[in-house]
Amino acid sequence: MTASLIGVTPPLHDPAGRDEFDTLAEVDAVFRTQRRIAFGYGLLFLGGVLTIPVLTLFTDWWTTGRLAGWWTTTFAAEGPGLYLFFFVLGVSAASLSSGVENRMLGSFEDSAEDDAE
Amino acid sequence: MGLLALVLGGLALIALGLAVRPRRASSIDFYLAGQRVGVITNALAICGDYFSAASFLGVAAAVYVSGLDGVWYATGFAAGFVPVLLFVAAPMRRFGQFSLPDFLGRRLASDRVRLAAVAVVQVIVLSYLVPQAVASGITWRLLVGTGMFGLDAYATGVVLATASMAGVVAFGGMRGTTWTQAMQFVFLMAVLVWLSTLTIGDGFHYADAVEDLSREPLRNPALVDGEWRLRAESNALDSSAPARFDQPGARYSVAGQLMLLMTLTLGTAGLPHVMNRYFTSPTGREARRTTVWVLGWAGVFYTFAVMLGTAARSFIFDAAATAPWLRALTVEGVLRIPEHALLVLGRITAGGTGLALIAIAALVAVISTMAGLLLAAAASWGHDTFAEVLRPNAPQHQVVLAGRLAVVGTAAIAAVVALNLEPASLSALFPSAVATMVTWAFAVAGSALTPVIVLAIWWPRMTAAGAVAGLVTGSVMAVALFLYALIASDTALGTLMLTPTPIAAPCAVMTSVLVSRRTTVPDDLPQIWVRMHGTAADRAAEHLAELTIADLGSRSRR
Repeated sequence: MTASLIGVTPPLHDPAGRDEFDTLAEVDAVFRTQRRIAFGYGLLFLGGVLTIPVLTLFTDWWTTGRLAGWWTTTFAAEGPGLYLFFFVLGVSAASLSSGVENRMLGSFEDSAEDDAE
Repeated sequence: MGLLALVLGGLALIALGLAVRPRRASSIDFYLAGQRVGVITNALAICGDYFSAASFLGVAAAVYVSGLDGVWYATGFAAGFVPVLLFVAAPMRRFGQFSLPDFLGRRLASDRVRLAAVAVVQVIVLSYLVPQAVASGITWRLLVGTGMFGLDAYATGVVLATASMAGVVAFGGMRGTTWTQAMQFVFLMAVLVWLSTLTIGDGFHYADAVEDLSREPLRNPALVDGEWRLRAESNALDSSAPARFDQPGARYSVAGQLMLLMTLTLGTAGLPHVMNRYFTSPTGREARRTTVWVLGWAGVFYTFAVMLGTAARSFIFDAAATAPWLRALTVEGVLRIPEHALLVLGRITAGGTGLALIAIAALVAVISTMAGLLLAAAASWGHDTFAEVLRPNAPQHQVVLAGRLAVVGTAAIAAVVALNLEPASLSALFPSAVATMVTWAFAVAGSALTPVIVLAIWWPRMTAAGAVAGLVTGSVMAVALFLYALIASDTALGTLMLTPTPIAAPCAVMTSVLVSRRTTVPDDLPQIWVRMHGTAADRAAEHLAELTIADLGSRSRR
């Protein structure tokens, strides 16, 4: 993918009169950023999930300790704890990914509109 | 009463499918519901698709039998949507096709990839369909107890469930399936909340129950010398200590926990009936938001399912001493078939009405997932094979007909396999027969499809030859390893190989990479990349939506 292919994608025309298109350079840049985000959060996810069997293997307090006299720590973590972790991770990753796309794509036609004005 | 409720429920489903069926059946309408399914509706439908009998009956059954180790099933099923959100949802939707084989075929510009993916999809669909049919047979046998059409109760449940869903999907296609599945999930969640409320009202205290259940070593029924007896579970983490309900080790070693978790986590992104739903979202951004909603509901759902598995263990033990009907199902107060856990809990807390309601919910979970699986089979045969490869110029009605015939054929094969299985014999081998059989589908999906899909999205050097090599390597290894596991089921290694994805998936990745480096990428890779990772189409769709809303608003003011 090289700079010579910039603009190769035909614009998508919408009834508002704006042409929606992304240049290859923009897409390449956002792709690399999104890849870092995806794999970074993926490592975070893996770390969170692997923590439980690692703690089980190497500690005693993890399987015998209790949260405020209630469940064992491992029961609380494997139950609601991990689901909450997944949800928060998902919200964070989705927000960041969408934010990156909003900031890094669609600027070409916005500046073209500004020039026309 | 139970039979009447089931018949009425089945008729209501068929009516809904007929009411929302596309009048002029195009492929877009049949397979993608016109690509107009909103975030919340699609999230509900994905949940309806995903939360099958394995989630509704199987998770509670796994917790019932194995305590804390059974919770890993729920964790793995929920965790699977994190990789979907991070790696697959948005770019795959932006690329926009009909199905996973269609996506891979067009991304890599190869019919060989498409057909290889179709073959893998068929294995996954059947692996997932059979346990649903088994669960419907189990449920019918417990609820109704008698058969119809000359069949026994189990066979009647299997045949009725597969036949009714084949009919709904063949007539309604994706649109009928979408709304049906969304409402079915709402019903499923409502039943879980209702049962949890009743259970707590009957005096269930979660922490106290866990503590009580953990005082004695964990024991489960086993067939010994032709007689059912309670046998203590061995502790996979510490052979000198007994297995207990609230401690890990009743079923899995640390390696076993990791293998199971990774198999389930990686498998979701390769499940055709779930991932095909993403193509119905209007934009890639909405596909991503949909997954966030699914993660939320999955957490709530599985929290209740795990709690109810614990409640079942506690309540059933106490009730078995005084209930003759329960003594027939148990051995010294412990169920012989753990999939009965929620059903029996429903009867204990709310009598015959409770049993009927849980049974209906279980069948709803089964048929909802069956619908998605059958539609995935329809897409892969009707669109991917017939329309794209065999008869590219076929008219729309022929493409849709091919899909409908595939639905009927796939349902028939699943029913025949399920009819030849005996759930009680499977229960002795696996913590929850239904959940375990579904895990096989996850294993093939996570070993073959997920690695290839992720590479196709995030690695520009991926080629068609690399994808075929990866699909073949992953699926062959997954099948070979769990065939070994069935043969060597009484060994530690054999138990681990029931969840082979952590071994098969890296092999698939390595094979794909090695072969791709020696072959060429598609000629139109730059256009593919802009389409998949750019948001021009999303922005155009969003602007159009804004204009439509503004226009509707101005018309209403006139």
